[in-house]
Amino acid sequence: MSTTPGTHSLAFRVMRLCRPSIHVEPPLRLDPMDLFVGEDIFDDPIASSNLPPLISTTDSSNSSDLTFSSRFLLHHPSDSIGLSGLLVLPQAFGAIYLGETFCSYISINNSSNFEVRDVVIKAEIQTERQRILLLDTSKSAVESIRAGGRYDFIVEHDVKELGAHTLVCTALYSDGDGERKYLPQFFKFIVSNPLSVRTKVRVVKEITFLEACIENHTKSNLYMDQVEFEPSPNWSATMLKADEHLSDNSSQSRQIFKPPVLIKSGGGIHNYLYQLRMSATDSAPVKVQGSNILGKFQITWRTNLGEPGRLQTQQILGTPITSKDIELHVVEIPPVIRVNKPFSLLLKLTNQTDTEQGPFEIWLSENDSYGEKVVMINGLQIMVLPRLEAFASTDFRLNLVATKLGVQRITGITVFDKREKKTYDPLPDLEVCDLCYVAFTFGFRNTIMLDIPTWFSWIWIDIIGLVLISYAEAAFAFGEVFVNRAIS
Amino acid sequence: MTESQPADEIPTRTTITDPLTNAFGSLNDLAPDLASLQDLATRGSWRSVLDKVSRARTASVSLLTQPHHHLTYLSYNTLALMKLRRFDEAAQELDSLEDFDSSSYKYESYPHIYPNRTGSMVPFALRWLYVVVPVKLGNRQEGLDRFYMLLGFVRDKLRQKGEANLEVSVNCWKKREIFVINCLIGLHLSNKEFTVCLNLINELISLDALDPISLSKLGYIQMQIGDLEGAKTSFNRVEEISKEGDVDVGFRNLVNRNKALMYLVGKDYVSAVREYEECIERDYTDFVAINNKALCLMYLRDLSDSIKVMENALERVPTVALNETLVVNLCSMYELAYVNHSEIKRTLSSWIAKVAPDDFDSSCTRI
Repeated sequence: MSTTPGTHSLAFRVMRLCRPSIHVEPPLRLDPMDLFVGEDIFDDPIASSNLPPLISTTDSSNSSDLTFSSRFLLHHPSDSIGLSGLLVLPQAFGAIYLGETFCSYISINNSSNFEVRDVVIKAEIQTERQRILLLDTSKSAVESIRAGGRYDFIVEHDVKELGAHTLVCTALYSDGDGERKYLPQFFKFIVSNPLSVRTKVRVVKEITFLEACIENHTKSNLYMDQVEFEPSPNWSATMLKADEHLSDNSSQSRQIFKPPVLIKSGGGIHNYLYQLRMSATDSAPVKVQGSNILGKFQITWRTNLGEPGRLQTQQILGTPITSKDIELHVVEIPPVIRVNKPFSLLLKLTNQTDTEQGPFEIWLSENDSYGEKVVMINGLQIMVLPRLEAFASTDFRLNLVATKLGVQRITGITVFDKREKKTYDPLPDLEVCDLCYVAFTFGFRNTIMLDIPTWFSWIWIDIIGLVLISYAEAAFAFGEVFVNRAIS
Repeated sequence: MTESQPADEIPTRTTITDPLTNAFGSLNDLAPDLASLQDLATRGSWRSVLDKVSRARTASVSLLTQPHHHLTYLSYNTLALMKLRRFDEAAQELDSLEDFDSSSYKYESYPHIYPNRTGSMVPFALRWLYVVVPVKLGNRQEGLDRFYMLLGFVRDKLRQKGEANLEVSVNCWKKREIFVINCLIGLHLSNKEFTVCLNLINELISLDALDPISLSKLGYIQMQIGDLEGAKTSFNRVEEISKEGDVDVGFRNLVNRNKALMYLVGKDYVSAVREYEECIERDYTDFVAINNKALCLMYLRDLSDSIKVMENALERVPTVALNETLVVNLCSMYELAYVNHSEIKRTLSSWIAKVAPDDFDSSCTRI
């Protein structure tokens, strides 16, 4: 039915009914003493004994006081704050954000001089995507609204969409003349985004760190009541908090007061940090190709008098796990590696696919970035490995030799699939420590020249030398920190 | 003569008990016609205050014979101008003064008038008004700076008086310190600087952890932020204190009102109304309970009754109910209830004009 032209007996009055606020207005109120006398008068002993009794007789703060003295005089020092606990109704529609609840008082007034009958009232929210019914009295129509009378109702709607919304109020009624009239009224408002959540994922060893930065786009300060990260099933999460500042507040006030997390309006931010661990997996971790879903955030914030808002983020993704067809890793490195002496590295080659792969060639690739190669293959430069069945693995030893002392890298162990003609990425560099003690023993005897009886000197030198050498060897073997590390 | 005497020892001189020469027998002994000025101020007749000051200043035979008389009258005048929202003129009044620390304002500069008295004769109210004026003129930063300087000044005085063992003075300056801190809380709160407010109010609570009123204000701030758990803890503490001894009506009502707020935030308006009714029954002048009860009725869809509660209060106890916030709320209710609300608001407005004090801000009716 289209809108009936002409004047209507009825009219809708609408008021957004978000929570009231506690009124703040620092008043112009003072202690009368500060007005009557000079500030230092109490230094005078006569004044200090005579004044207080005089002032108290002029103080009229009892409840039968019929003057406006409470607009002028302080009854309690905290009156100066101007926070009496008086509530004030929302004075404007204000801004409305996703996740909040839209609440409205709707009053339908009969401003005519006649009674209206059989009033069917409907209230709906119309968005771009849908039409949501909030109230419908068609099953039990309001029998009548007298002249000058009113019918009130309160509607609530959880805002779940952004953009333009319209509160559509309609009334179908019979006016004083018995004519059936239709009155639609529209109240528009826009819903905006209150927050943005920016995340960063970092992986350090087996721990995944998730950093979330919440930015407040609203016009009020937001009290973050709850910010919870709900991890997906194969993850567990713990929130990491900075150590609390130890202020020198008395313990009494600290019992009452815990600093709230308050994000300032118009661009304020707050950061949260979570530590995530992969939950205990069975034998082999199942690697899922593509995305790695970590979980999502549930955020609840509050504004004046606890007016709540709730949002959930989209799924947060971690670093993608790419599965490899062929996996190569180091099983064992010898505990002591001596310079110029061959050593062997035990490696495992695994076929992660469901088809037979290979045969393979293993070599150390030429890698210019570290300059001259220190660790080289001892013997044949290319090792050949036979075909591997689906999901099978094979252990093999690579015979290497180090040509220099100190901490050195084993770089560029590369796998080449002869059939597919495919080179896989080299194994990450390994650091090893090459030792030397050999040169010391033989050089020692020849450098000593002493003028002592020969037979005596040589025996002693040998003994001293052996003691020193043994000490040195022991020191090298046990004292030195042996470093074997894969550089990622 | 006896400047080194401690303040609490009353010297035995007959002049103290002699009513003819007692300098502190009545308000009028402090300054000419002070009782009348004070009376006008408590009635909110600020225009009359301005009148009275003007006449005293321009009288052919001046009433204001002593130096401090001028300062007292200037304080009332400045306060009256501030109350009437004539802030520029108030600033001019203050500008007419010399620096507060000038020797012209020291008792010792007039030994023949103030024998044995030293220190500043500047009423503390003037220092405070000097600090508030820039805020009212819109220069909040200047006001904030002056406020913190005033706090520093008060603390210096506190130290000096403490060192000189002037116990009564110390108490007086302590009160002033708390006064300034409370003003600062109000100033920061108006600007939604909640973290500073919480720090300042906790400072006050640490000085007197058993002050239920300050604790309740902490609760209101927490509630306004949205920290409902914090507010609950604060209100619980207030209730605990109330059980620890004799409490007057004011305190009992405070506890009920705090409870009502907790119900309100939980959307249990029925219980909130019940708490407020208990307050009103105990003290029919509890206008906070009256106002808040009316709001709860509105949230219960009972706009008609909420209007009735407000209108009854204005009729019954106008000197407390005539509060700008109450009127703002009532006008919002009128705007919702009546299509032609201007008429009813005009009726309200003319009634206010007859009954209200001079400093009532009638723009709250939004006509």
